[in-house]
Amino acid sequence: MRPEHAFIVGKREYLVRLRSKGFWIATALLPVFMAAMILGPFLAASRSKAEQRLAIVDATGAGLGQRLAAALTERAPGSGRGEGGEVRFEAQLVPPGPDPAALRSKLDRRVRAKELGAWVWLTPDGLRENRFEYHAENLSNVVTQEALRSRISRVVSLWRLRAAGLDAAKIAELTRTVELSTVRISATGSRAEQGIGGFMLAFGLCFGLYMVILIYGQQVMQGVLEEKSSRVIEVIAAAIRPTELMAGKLLGICLVALTQLAIWVGAALVLTTPAILGALWTLPPGLILPHVPGAVIAHLFMLFLLGFFLYSTLYAMIGASFNSVQEAQQFAGVAVVFIVPPLLFITPILNDPDSPLAVSMSLFPFFTPLVMMLRIASKMPPAWQIVAAYSLCLLTIAGMIWLCARVYRIGILMYGKKPTLQEIWHWVRYS
Amino acid sequence: MTASLELRNVEKRYGDFVAVASLSLAVPAGVIFGLLGPNGAGKTTTLRMIMDILAPDSGEILLFGRRRRASDLQRMGYLPEERGLYRKMTVLDQLLFLAEIHGLKRRQALPVIEAWLARVDLADWGRKKVEELSKGMQQKVQLIGTVLHEPEILILDEPFSGLDPINQGLFKELLLEYRKQGRTILFSTHGMEQAEKLCDHIGLISHGRLVLSGELREIKRQASGNSYRLVAPATAGDLERVRALPEIEVAISSDVRDPQGAVEPLSASVRLLLKPGASTSELLRQLLQFLEVREFRSEEPDLEDIFIKAVRDAA
Repeated sequence: MRPEHAFIVGKREYLVRLRSKGFWIATALLPVFMAAMILGPFLAASRSKAEQRLAIVDATGAGLGQRLAAALTERAPGSGRGEGGEVRFEAQLVPPGPDPAALRSKLDRRVRAKELGAWVWLTPDGLRENRFEYHAENLSNVVTQEALRSRISRVVSLWRLRAAGLDAAKIAELTRTVELSTVRISATGSRAEQGIGGFMLAFGLCFGLYMVILIYGQQVMQGVLEEKSSRVIEVIAAAIRPTELMAGKLLGICLVALTQLAIWVGAALVLTTPAILGALWTLPPGLILPHVPGAVIAHLFMLFLLGFFLYSTLYAMIGASFNSVQEAQQFAGVAVVFIVPPLLFITPILNDPDSPLAVSMSLFPFFTPLVMMLRIASKMPPAWQIVAAYSLCLLTIAGMIWLCARVYRIGILMYGKKPTLQEIWHWVRYS
Repeated sequence: MTASLELRNVEKRYGDFVAVASLSLAVPAGVIFGLLGPNGAGKTTTLRMIMDILAPDSGEILLFGRRRRASDLQRMGYLPEERGLYRKMTVLDQLLFLAEIHGLKRRQALPVIEAWLARVDLADWGRKKVEELSKGMQQKVQLIGTVLHEPEILILDEPFSGLDPINQGLFKELLLEYRKQGRTILFSTHGMEQAEKLCDHIGLISHGRLVLSGELREIKRQASGNSYRLVAPATAGDLERVRALPEIEVAISSDVRDPQGAVEPLSASVRLLLKPGASTSELLRQLLQFLEVREFRSEEPDLEDIFIKAVRDAA
């Protein structure tokens, strides 16, 4: 292995990619895409206005139906806002009548005819057992149901309080929900922050890391395949060793990714300085941006390096083993199986970053980059855990490089038939 | 003359398949050496082992009269049979990259590349991407990439396959120029004609074994006196009878146009290689029994006859 050869190869990889339009387009568009991916569902949920036409049948005889209809149609601040956004009801009171069964089937017909969205039946038994019936075609509208449930609860409890001789208005005033004003405690001091901002930051960093590792891993695979399919590989293999070529390729592409990350981090730092941010758009009052300490950024780069070398060696092996992107794509799924699980556990990990689940996942090398990113961004883990996770990662990378060099050396000259896993294993053993 | 490249009992197996079997070969400095053999004879494997792309299972490869060093690769030029370029790179960047991996500095390489591009009429194409070039132009770029670091030993795998006539001419010109400068060229081919015109030395391999090697002139001299040209109207069936005669070692017909055996026999020109000690008068007597011989004369053997005979002798 002669480092200068790897350097020449790395320089080529870096310059060719940095000169391509694709790099700059991706640099500009990826943050937009990511913001849309992360903020989109959140905004959509908070802006969504569900509407439901509701029939209320009150058989309690306590006038609850009327109060509920009033409570559902009123749009007092705070009353119509559930966690998941605003739900508007259009309520109509239906008298119970002498034949409940006939009324039920009539209401069902009206729902099927789309005259009604749903109907609610309030009974004395229900009042006693704290349970009312809700009939609708769609029962997955959990947000709407939750809004309805909370408003019925409020109406019922106010009615009970009044029945007990208490002043409902006073009680409403006294039982208002309390908010938490959140303050982050860290080594560098305490600072007021909003929980949701910290969540977004950790989510964004983790998701960004995921995208960059995946995209550049795939680029390594495509680069190897390009050299194979254009048959330039043997020309190069006659001048320098395959390991030098592999090392140069990984280094060059890694530098491209670091350049892109640096551009993003730099742009984010500049854009979030109060002066520029204020000039660009007005933030909602009371929104506090999470503070990103330098240590988190340092770990972001470190975790990127670990993740890149873990996955790019895997991708290089896959690229060297096959003849075309189509063939390789099937195996590329293997890499995704390793990188995706942390994304599925984002919420539990962020909710308790020191839980046994979070700690053990962060110590599994292939999960370390993403899970550690989540933990570090939310709450700095104990130093020993970081050291242990990074060391395990480095050991795994050493193993991956060893394995990859062997598969690569043989694979790059193999054309024709798609190799089986068993054959690839033979390459490892005999090279 | 010292051998600038020598193989000693080199062997390479893929599982049970023996690609190259105990191959010993010496290529003297300053010659054009043709490695001949049919497809699958082990030529590419041999050349790849010389370039250290494959490691031999056993045996030794000597370069410049000593054991190989890592830096030797920089003094060699290699054109593989499967060749290509980075399609998205410009011609200039591509050649600079190839120069750099062969140990040249960019500053040294640039004037050399420009001189080469001018020589092959590509001076205006340096800034174009490789994919914008025609196939013939790409072949020229590939050729420049092989030689721009002025290799002392040039290893070419089927260099003429797929080349257009202009580039074939360019290639031959270059090989002769290199020989004049005292460089060593080893190339493989299955086309005997090219080898016959260019080579000083040849090595014939078949099924991974060397069946014949030496100076081409000497090989031809030894084989001559046994080779004859027969011209006669003959059907395919007649040719079979010719081949079956006890005096005949090899019979190669060059222009029987009707292999099905037409009613009207066509004129065939057949090259005959006789067995050692075979009597020409006895042969002629037998031929006259079923052929209307129009011509029968002694002829210098060509490489193809020699090759076929050597393969048959080895079997």
